[in-house]
Amino acid sequence: MVPLLKRLGLNTYNVDKKPHIEVNTDICINCKDKPCTVSCPAGTYEALPDGRIAVHYERCLECGGALVICPFGAIKFRFPEGGISYRYG
Amino acid sequence: MSFDADVIIVGGGLSGLSAGITAVMEGLNVILLERGEYSGAKNVSGGRMYIHALKMLIPDALERAPLERPITKETFEIFCDKNRKITFSFEEKDKKNSFSVLRSKFDRWLASEAENLGLLISYSTLVLNAYREGEGITLETNRGTLKAPLIIDASGVTSIVFRLLGLRKFTPDKWMLGVKEIIKTDVNLPENEGEVRTIVGAIKGVKGGGFVYTNKDTLSVGMAVTFDSLPKSEFPAKDLVEAFRERIGIEGEILEYSAHAIPYYGFKNLPPLYDKNLIAVGDSAGFLINDGFTIRGMDLAIGSGMIAGLAAKKIVESRNFSNTEVYYEMLKDSFVLKHLELAYNRFELINSPLTLSTYPEILCNVLSDMFTVEENRNTLINDFIYRLKEKGIPLSQTVRDLWKAIK
Ligand SMILES: Cc1cc2nc3c(=O)[nH]c(=O)nc-3n(C[C@H](O)[C@H](O)[C@H](O)COP(=O)(O)OP(=O)(O)OC[C@H]3O[C@@H](n4cnc5c(N)ncnc54)[C@H](O)[C@@H]3O)c2cc1C
Ligand code: SF4
Repeated sequence: MVPLLKRLGLNTYNVDKKPHIEVNTDICINCKDKPCTVSCPAGTYEALPDGRIAVHYERCLECGGALVICPFGAIKFRFPEGGISYRYG
Repeated sequence: MSFDADVIIVGGGLSGLSAGITAVMEGLNVILLERGEYSGAKNVSGGRMYIHALKMLIPDALERAPLERPITKETFEIFCDKNRKITFSFEEKDKKNSFSVLRSKFDRWLASEAENLGLLISYSTLVLNAYREGEGITLETNRGTLKAPLIIDASGVTSIVFRLLGLRKFTPDKWMLGVKEIIKTDVNLPENEGEVRTIVGAIKGVKGGGFVYTNKDTLSVGMAVTFDSLPKSEFPAKDLVEAFRERIGIEGEILEYSAHAIPYYGFKNLPPLYDKNLIAVGDSAGFLINDGFTIRGMDLAIGSGMIAGLAAKKIVESRNFSNTEVYYEMLKDSFVLKHLELAYNRFELINSPLTLSTYPEILCNVLSDMFTVEENRNTLINDFIYRLKEKGIPLSQTVRDLWKAIK
């Protein structure tokens, strides 16, 4: 299996200075299953040992899934100004 | 109140560009806003495009559009478990009804066609907010504010203007995640042939399936699965396409990894398609057919875009921007809503948990019995009924489901 970061590295990103995804980690700390960590195709959400979530917004593939993957509404998502440009699509 | 245009279109994908081309040809003053640096920069599809709508939009498109290959062979693979799968193929040489496409090439070409016809496209323009003001809708973007009495929301599945006006509620069962890789390959096929493979059951737990499309010198390999099934999948979303590719035995250099959400509403659950000063086209309207055999969104995007362009002309001429129902009336007469309605039975069928796992397993068991010779042998129908009973499914339900599949 080719690792995620290698696959993401094939894409052209123009990463915004400000994150376009914000997560309310106070909500996450009470969330057991953390569905976002398995539902994001870019591995944007990483579970930390302290029960919080790290957000790697620079990996985002802009699929839009952030708008539905958190059952507790802890994710605030808008598209970035720059972001990804696909060569094939 | 002064407006910046008769119509503002949000989104320069297939639906937005088709709406723009049509509206400009109808003589309207139109601005299209696209957040990508070019049309197609953000867009992903499987992708196999049925070209009936494209030919209506651009009659000589077949000669000029950057299409990959005509689809002349369809193969279905249904995995029952690791060791057993059902495969069948259908071939029709010289068929030119659908083509494989790559969106960043195709959309960019369509945008240049639109610009040649006089459509004003503002790239790298991201719509951030929308609200009603005066007799129209105001859009706030990263490059300033624009107003129009009529907005066509062509922003894809995330449906930005409808969402900001509180007209959309998204849930994980009504959206699919599409993940895809482009694989470099030597395609051993003549130029006028191409294949689509549809694969179900290769990855357990997920609701949906996988696809392989043959392009000129690459393969598009991917999966489309509902968001609510992702936490039940044997692989996390980030490894889904890689695991799928390994299962079906495709190797080669990866050129691109992409992902996009796909609307999965079905005809009877479509979201609002119009509101005062506002109409939705393509994915933003939920116009997608997924009937187990194909995913069809691109031709519906082009078709609904064209209708929106024509409807815009009528609305602008009438100066009655509340009467966007005109668009809906025109849609009802078109292939867009008719095909969506026709596909609804099969949509319901594949939505049932029986279809993607239990029925294939039963079929595999029956076929396995058929090809195994032992002393005790049953007739095929008795074996089938026995296998159904084993799973607790009444025969009457199977007959009903079969009826749905062909109706
Ligand atoms: C993996 C996958 C496989 C698929 N396979 C097929 C297939 O084989 N055949 C088929 O017919 N269909 C397929 N589809 C569906 C098809 O891709 C869609 O139905 C089609 O792209 C819809 O076109 P659209 O123009 O409505 O939306 P999009 O193509 O999504 O275009 C929307 C545009 O709006 C822009 N935009 C979004 N938000 C904003 C904003 N806030 N401001 C400014 N611009 C914005 C985007 O950049 C984009 O250009 C597939 C989809 C996926 C993801
Ligand atoms: S973002 Fe939502 S789903 Fe993810 S960990 Fe936080 S609460 Fe759970």
